[in-house]
Amino acid sequence: MSRRGIIIAVTAALIAAGNLPAAAQGPSAAASVAVTEGSQFVANLASRAVGELTTDELPLPERVSRFRTLLTEAFDVPAIGRFVLGRYWRTANESERAEYLKLFEDFIVQTYVQRFNDFAGAQIRVLQTRAGRENEVIATVEAVLPGRPAARFDVRMQRDDGRFKIFDVIVEGISMSMTQRDDFAAVIQRNGGKVEGLLASLREKTRAVP
Amino acid sequence: MGLEIRDNKSNNGFCPSMKLPYFAGRSARLAGAMTAMLSVSACVIQDTPEKVAQVEETNDPFEPTNRYIFEVNRFLDEMLLKPVAWWYRAGVPDPARERIHLALANLRLPWTAVNDFFQGEMKRAYDSSARFVINTTVGVVGLFDVATGWGFPHHEEDAGQTFAVMGAPEGPYLMLPILGPSNPRDAAGLLVDYVADPVNLVLNNNGADAAGLARGGASSVDARERNLETIADLERNSVDFYATIRSIYRQRRASEIRNGAPDSTYPAPSLSQQK
Repeated sequence: MSRRGIIIAVTAALIAAGNLPAAAQGPSAAASVAVTEGSQFVANLASRAVGELTTDELPLPERVSRFRTLLTEAFDVPAIGRFVLGRYWRTANESERAEYLKLFEDFIVQTYVQRFNDFAGAQIRVLQTRAGRENEVIATVEAVLPGRPAARFDVRMQRDDGRFKIFDVIVEGISMSMTQRDDFAAVIQRNGGKVEGLLASLREKTRAVP
Repeated sequence: MGLEIRDNKSNNGFCPSMKLPYFAGRSARLAGAMTAMLSVSACVIQDTPEKVAQVEETNDPFEPTNRYIFEVNRFLDEMLLKPVAWWYRAGVPDPARERIHLALANLRLPWTAVNDFFQGEMKRAYDSSARFVINTTVGVVGLFDVATGWGFPHHEEDAGQTFAVMGAPEGPYLMLPILGPSNPRDAAGLLVDYVADPVNLVLNNNGADAAGLARGGASSVDARERNLETIADLERNSVDFYATIRSIYRQRRASEIRNGAPDSTYPAPSLSQQK
C-alpha cells in the first residue's frame, strides 16, 4: 500500500470511529449546518409564497406588494441587479445606477408576479440541498402542479450575517440571472453601449407596476 | 443593431481585404458569399474593446443576419406553427395529446441509444434501449410510459450533443430558417439525426419516406403546443427577445451536453462583495 493509500485508510478509519479531531471537523460541520438551514429557509419561503400569493381574490396591488416583500427579504436583489448589468455597472454613473436598481426590482416583480400566478395549488418541496463553493448553498426544488409534469429547479443562495439570500434560480440548466444579463446587455449594445437605452426600455416596461 | 457593418468605417479598425478563393464551378458563388460573411465578422472583431468583449460573450458574429432570419421565423411561427399548435390543443383532449407525446418520445429512443453508445455512456444506452423495448411492447407502441416506473428514466440525446462530447467546437451562433436557433455543430447534428435515425431508416426502407417528415412535423406541433405559455411568457418578459432566446439556447445546449450536471465554469457567487 502506498503512503497516500495508508493516509486515506487511516483517515477513513478515524472518521468511521468518530475520532476525527474537532478542529478538522469544524468547517464540514458548519457546512452541514448551513445546508440544513438553507433547506429550511427554502422550504419556509416556498410555503409562505404559495400561501400568501396564490389566493384567488387578492387584488393585484396587494399581490404585488406581498411579492415585493418576499422578494427583497429572500433575494439579494441589488447584488443580482449589479450582476445582471455586468460590465456596464462600471460605466454607469451614480444616478443611472440608482435608477437602474429601482427599475430592475420593478421589472423582476412584474415578471415573477405573473409567473407565480401559475403556482396556485402547487406542492413545492426541497429534494436535496448541497454546499457549493465559498459559503454557497444550492437547493434542488420540485414544484408539482395538478395535471402537469413536475418542474425542477435549483436555488442558489449565500449566507450573509446569518441570513440566507438567494442570488440565482436555475431551471433545466438555464440561469435566470445569466439570461437576464444577456437580455439587458443586448439592449445596451443596440443603444450604442449606453445604459440610458436600457433604462428607457425598463421605464416603458414597468410603467404598470403598482 | 449592435454590430452594424457601417460602424467599421467610422473607426480605425483594420478591415482585411476580401480574398476570394479559386473555387471552380457552381460552389464559387456560395464560397464567395461565405468568405464575405467571414470577412465582415473578422472586420467586426477588429473593433473597439467593448465590441470584442461582446462578440466573445454572445458568440454571434453574424448577428444582423441572424436577427433578420429570426424575424422571418417569428412571422412563420405566427402564421403557421402557433395556430396549428392552438388548434391541436383545442381539438385534441389532454389525455390523447399526452399519449401522442409519449409515442413520439418513444420513437426517439433508438437514436438516443445510438448516441449514448457513441458518447461512451453504456448505462444510459442500456436505459434507452430497455425503455424502448418495454414501452413499445408493454406500453403499446409507446402510448404508455411503463419503463419509468420500472427504473428506466427518460432522457434524450442527439448527434449535436455527441459531436460536442467527441470534442467538436460549437462554432458561431446561427439562426437557421424555419429550424431556429443553432450553430454549425448542431446544424450538422440535425442533418445526421434526420438521415441516421433508425426509425426513419426503417420507414424509408419500406417506402414510407413521407412518414419521416410527418413524424418531424408532428414532433414540432407537439413541442410547440407544450411550450405555448413558456414562449409567450419569454416574449412578454424580455426586453430583447432575440438575445433572450440566444442566451437560453446556448445555456440549454451546454446543460444537455453535460447531461444536466452543474456548470463548473459558472462565475463564483461573491456578488455581495462587489458593493
